[in-house]
Amino acid sequence: MLRPEEMTRVVIVGSIDGIDDTIECLYETGALHLIDFTKQDEDFKLGRPLARASDASQKLVKLRSMIRSLDLEDLEPDKKFSVPEIEAKLEQAIVTLDLNTSGKVESRQRIQALIREREGEVSALLPIRSFGIPVEDYDGFETITSIVGVCKEDPEEELSSKLPNLELFKKVGKGNLVVVVFVLNEEKQAAMKVLSAHGFSELKIPKLNGFPEDIISRNLAEIKDLEADLSRIDADLAKIKKNFADFIIASEENLSIEVLKAETPLRMAESENSFVIDGWVPKSAVEQLEAALEGRCCGAAFIEAIPPEKEEEPPVKLKNARPVKPFEMLVSVVSTPKYDEIDPSIVMFIVFPLFFGFMLGDLGFGSGLIAAGVLTRWKFKDSPSIKQFGTIVLAGGLVAAVFGLFVYGEAFGVPFQPPPTSPDEASWASIVNIPLTPLIHKLSDIKEMLAISIVAGWAHLTLGLLFGFVNNYHHSRKHAIGKLAWILLLFGIFYEMMAVAKNATNTSQFFNSTLFAVFPSITTSIIGTTVSIPAVMFAIAGIVALPFTEGPIALSEILSMFSNLVSYARLAALAVGKGAMALAFNTMLFPVVFGPNIILAIVGAIALGFTLLFFVFFLGSLSVGIQAVRLNYVEFFLKFFEGGGTDFNPLRYLREHTTAAR
Amino acid sequence: MVLDTGAGLALIGAGLAIGIAGLGTGIAQGQTGAAAVGATAEDPKMFVRGIVFMVVPETIIILGFVVAFLLIGKT
Repeated sequence: MLRPEEMTRVVIVGSIDGIDDTIECLYETGALHLIDFTKQDEDFKLGRPLARASDASQKLVKLRSMIRSLDLEDLEPDKKFSVPEIEAKLEQAIVTLDLNTSGKVESRQRIQALIREREGEVSALLPIRSFGIPVEDYDGFETITSIVGVCKEDPEEELSSKLPNLELFKKVGKGNLVVVVFVLNEEKQAAMKVLSAHGFSELKIPKLNGFPEDIISRNLAEIKDLEADLSRIDADLAKIKKNFADFIIASEENLSIEVLKAETPLRMAESENSFVIDGWVPKSAVEQLEAALEGRCCGAAFIEAIPPEKEEEPPVKLKNARPVKPFEMLVSVVSTPKYDEIDPSIVMFIVFPLFFGFMLGDLGFGSGLIAAGVLTRWKFKDSPSIKQFGTIVLAGGLVAAVFGLFVYGEAFGVPFQPPPTSPDEASWASIVNIPLTPLIHKLSDIKEMLAISIVAGWAHLTLGLLFGFVNNYHHSRKHAIGKLAWILLLFGIFYEMMAVAKNATNTSQFFNSTLFAVFPSITTSIIGTTVSIPAVMFAIAGIVALPFTEGPIALSEILSMFSNLVSYARLAALAVGKGAMALAFNTMLFPVVFGPNIILAIVGAIALGFTLLFFVFFLGSLSVGIQAVRLNYVEFFLKFFEGGGTDFNPLRYLREHTTAAR
Repeated sequence: MVLDTGAGLALIGAGLAIGIAGLGTGIAQGQTGAAAVGATAEDPKMFVRGIVFMVVPETIIILGFVVAFLLIGKT
């Protein structure tokens, strides 16, 4: 929570004979983040791949080409294989598969090419089929050239008037005119010019012998035969696919892991007789790794913790409780926090659903989102990031439903009870009596909503500045104190806002009588606006401290603190906006839905359902979600968050289609 | 509902405050948004920086909302 997992810098050294076991052990433990070795010298060079690497790579290439030719890329195998099983069968299986597939795959490709060629000829000959001229006669004269193509308009008149020596054949085709022109070589240019004025495009005639009619029927028969051959080969391949698909995919996974392991020495240092691995291990896993090395390598490799060098930045493995984990995604979209920086995931976990719920605040739409979240989690249980997204939606929906139930007292934009100010307004009371009176009425208590938004903004921003103080404390005391100056300024602005609001709302009343009660309530009036003297004192104290801590430029950003705080008014604005939109649709369509005409009522109900679903539920949730995230990214994160940490990426592998040996 | 002229003018002002501020935000966001989408397409790491730039003009409409609200309070 707030801090990432503590990392220990380690060095593993060992005799070159133990390198295989050590690598195996590191991958099994999955706890070492390897630092790539780069500084070669006379004694230590980059390691060489393990002996088995080249054999494994060769087999892997073969298997991958089979996967492509058998079209297995997207296949989900039903069966898992154990590693010893794969190792025992692999050699033989590759030979068998090679024998059975490679010839067939090649013939299939050849047949497919041949079919394409024959089809091409047929489609080229079809337009000139009815002219009854042998194909070889279109070509090969000394003084005459043939032009074959299609025209959009009939060129005969113009052609025959301009070039009396040519011969023209024409036939009406599909939406155009097929023309064959035999023309003297020297008149070809002129003929082409006339033709192109009539929307001419040329057709290529293949070099064949015989009448088009005969060639076409011969080709069609040949295509039929070829297709029969193709389907026989496909059936054979399908049989092989059925028998071997699962095994091929499992072996490919196993070999990929083998190659990954065998090539690891390329990232470590090796001398003639020893190897050195640099890396980071989570502090909690050091002992486990030590024991594993001890047990597996029997003294051939040792691990030692060393103090890190100053410029070395440890990798970051965020450490949060399980419910908070999905919200790490919202942080990592911005950037991975640095190792010595506060990880704000837990704040996202609390604040995002609260903001979301406050803005959406509706039992009906909240329940809809809960359902959507649960459905997403269930449907995409194999895809972690979509599942995490589902959890975030679920959390937002849950809080929105709670807000709708207890704070705003409404579902689908319709209040449980009609508001006391307008008792005629449509409400659930006419269908079911829900004895819950709203604490806040979205559309009439706007002042209250605004006051709550400002309070939320003040608390959120103050927390961000406090995080900034903590982050800066060890690097630059001056900047850390600067954050405190911002806090004073922010408090002054907040105080002044509450003083202006006086006791207009429950929230401002509460703050004025508690938090601000300790300060004397001296106010003065400047151009009709109440100005609280203590508030001004706080703001001035902050402003005076700023140039000394954050530098004089910071003075230009004083107003940004005000706009940051006012920016939280969007919490109220969106809540009111969504409420008003749902009310507008309901007011327009309720008289129709509950009217006397049954057909109109059905149409109205569909229209109401659609508008509520699309405009209020879908677009509403989307914009509310974006705004809730945005308040965190822009207002909150910019107060402390730098990011740019390296993700903890240990040596490990994932077995999906295979089971490990032991 | 009977309103005096002052209140009526205040309400018109509130509408203008929201409307014109919204227009301004729209123009500004349209341009930054288009650029942000372009930048994100080139390099997905620009996503957040894009969002940050894109939402900067939003403050205009929020200020418009606050002014409109204060004006409605005067009626």
